[in-house]
Amino acid sequence: MADWQELEEALADYTVSCNSNERLRRMQRDWSRTLHFICSDTDDTFTMVVERGEILATPRGHDGVPDIIVTTTSETFCDMFWGDLNPVQKYLRGEIQVKGSQEDVMRLDAISYVIWPDA
Amino acid sequence: MGAATAATSALRRSVGTAAATATSAGLAFAAIDYLGVVSILAYAPGATAALAIGIGLLLVLLVAGLFSELNGLFPTAAGIRLYLGRAVGDRTALAVTFTYMTTVVLVIAADAFLIGAAVSHVLHEPSALAYLWIAVLLGLATAANLAGVRLAGALQSVVTYTVLAGTAVLSVIALAHPGTPLSHPFSILGNGAFSGVQAIAFALFLYAAFEWVTTTAEEARTPRVITRALFLAPLAIWIVATVFALSLAHLVPEPMLHGSKFPQLLLGRAALGTLGELWMLALTVLTALNTFNGGFLVASRFIYAAAREGNLPRQFAYLNLRAVPWVAVCSLAVVSAVVAAVVFATGQWLVLVSVGAAIEAGVYALASLCVLVLRRRDLRPRPFRLVAATPLSIVGMVVFSAFFLATGLSDPKNAHRLSPTPIAIIAVLAAGSTLYVRLVMPGVRARADARSAAARPKRRPERPASVVAGRHGGDDGSGGGDV
Repeated sequence: MADWQELEEALADYTVSCNSNERLRRMQRDWSRTLHFICSDTDDTFTMVVERGEILATPRGHDGVPDIIVTTTSETFCDMFWGDLNPVQKYLRGEIQVKGSQEDVMRLDAISYVIWPDA
Repeated sequence: MGAATAATSALRRSVGTAAATATSAGLAFAAIDYLGVVSILAYAPGATAALAIGIGLLLVLLVAGLFSELNGLFPTAAGIRLYLGRAVGDRTALAVTFTYMTTVVLVIAADAFLIGAAVSHVLHEPSALAYLWIAVLLGLATAANLAGVRLAGALQSVVTYTVLAGTAVLSVIALAHPGTPLSHPFSILGNGAFSGVQAIAFALFLYAAFEWVTTTAEEARTPRVITRALFLAPLAIWIVATVFALSLAHLVPEPMLHGSKFPQLLLGRAALGTLGELWMLALTVLTALNTFNGGFLVASRFIYAAAREGNLPRQFAYLNLRAVPWVAVCSLAVVSAVVAAVVFATGQWLVLVSVGAAIEAGVYALASLCVLVLRRRDLRPRPFRLVAATPLSIVGMVVFSAFFLATGLSDPKNAHRLSPTPIAIIAVLAAGSTLYVRLVMPGVRARADARSAAARPKRRPERPASVVAGRHGGDDGSGGGDV
């Protein structure tokens, strides 16, 4: 399992990758959401605040009312944020659980797909 | 941490029972359902149709119980893949899901055809112009999808309840008119035992696709919301379909009914003249909002996910600047237009009803099998447990398999004959899906894996072995990944 430091590094890299991708920013320009994440193995939690497609903050713990809640293992989160795994494959195998509208789930995956199309 | 988890369990926007019920009923009640009622009347004339629709309701409530249990185990949009995969294997699950998804195309094509024909009829245009309307409707639906426009949940509920209430009210008005007396309500076997089975099988089709509400499980306020919707939506459809069938039998002469593409317009005219016809035309067009919104959305996202997973060519996952999988949406539109054109040219629109009804019955039989198998293989607690699951699942497998054959072998134009056409179409669809999964998909997957491996090395930094060993001390190796 991954500790918070590893998750933090992964999130930092993910944030830079997202925010520096012009195509993704244009695609998600109308997407402002609060995402809550839960590590099922470590009970770590963190929040991601997205405003007009830009990731503004990824604080530890849960902050605000979520539009989406994602639950999986800390290892899966790390690999996902580093772009080393395809989140759809994990989702379709029931290894990533999501609560939220289908549209938001799609938008969330679109981030990974646009940054790492061949992951 | 449990408290933190509980605190975040409430989403800002979640779906309640009324909205989920509207979604379920809206997915089920399409323009093709008006023709479905005519198919029931062909096998169970007059008031007997109401009995067939009532028996259909009882069977659909069993289906609601089956899907409630399965949805409770796998409350996700990918649920069907997961429970089919665990019960019958992943490749079979994929082949079944691909076949199942073709019903979406059939319903989109059928609705485009039926609405186009209805609009053309009311405007007194030559029937050849109907295809122009079909193309316009599909074009508008495609453009709206590509632009990322979709019905908001509240609007979708209003549309669904308007269609159901509007159809019921006009039907009641029609019943108040002097017409053919409704007699022999219980002569379900009047045209022979097999005819009764076919009538009930077509009655099942009226409720078909109501179970797709399970794909919204991730946005439901609680798991029970989906269960309630699964039981309430069929009740609403039962009431509307029953009064509609009775009013048709009461007011529209049988010979007119069985040759018509728009029985609802005939009923509207018979009940309230031009006003009634326009009333029913408006409701028919409204059904398209649900069909096109729900159908395009469900099918295109399924195609996108399959492409992202590496099971379909990657082009199907291409996104436009609205984050819409545009290749998937355009492909759906083209295939629907082609199917609608074939139906338009051949006049075999009732075949779509038979094919759709048979595929749904087959899926219900498989759902029964899944409940039976997963009761043994998956011992996790379920939010909803079907009472007497083993005997009811076995009953479901037998009954729905019989209905699969009954509708698959029906002759849509002659209730006294059998026809292999519907089951032959299903066999072609199933064979195509199976061949794709067995022969083509492994190659597609291998290319996706090769691309992934060649694209770039792993990005996640390696941790020193001492750190990893220290962290995993006492870990049982399972990774705690059972989510």
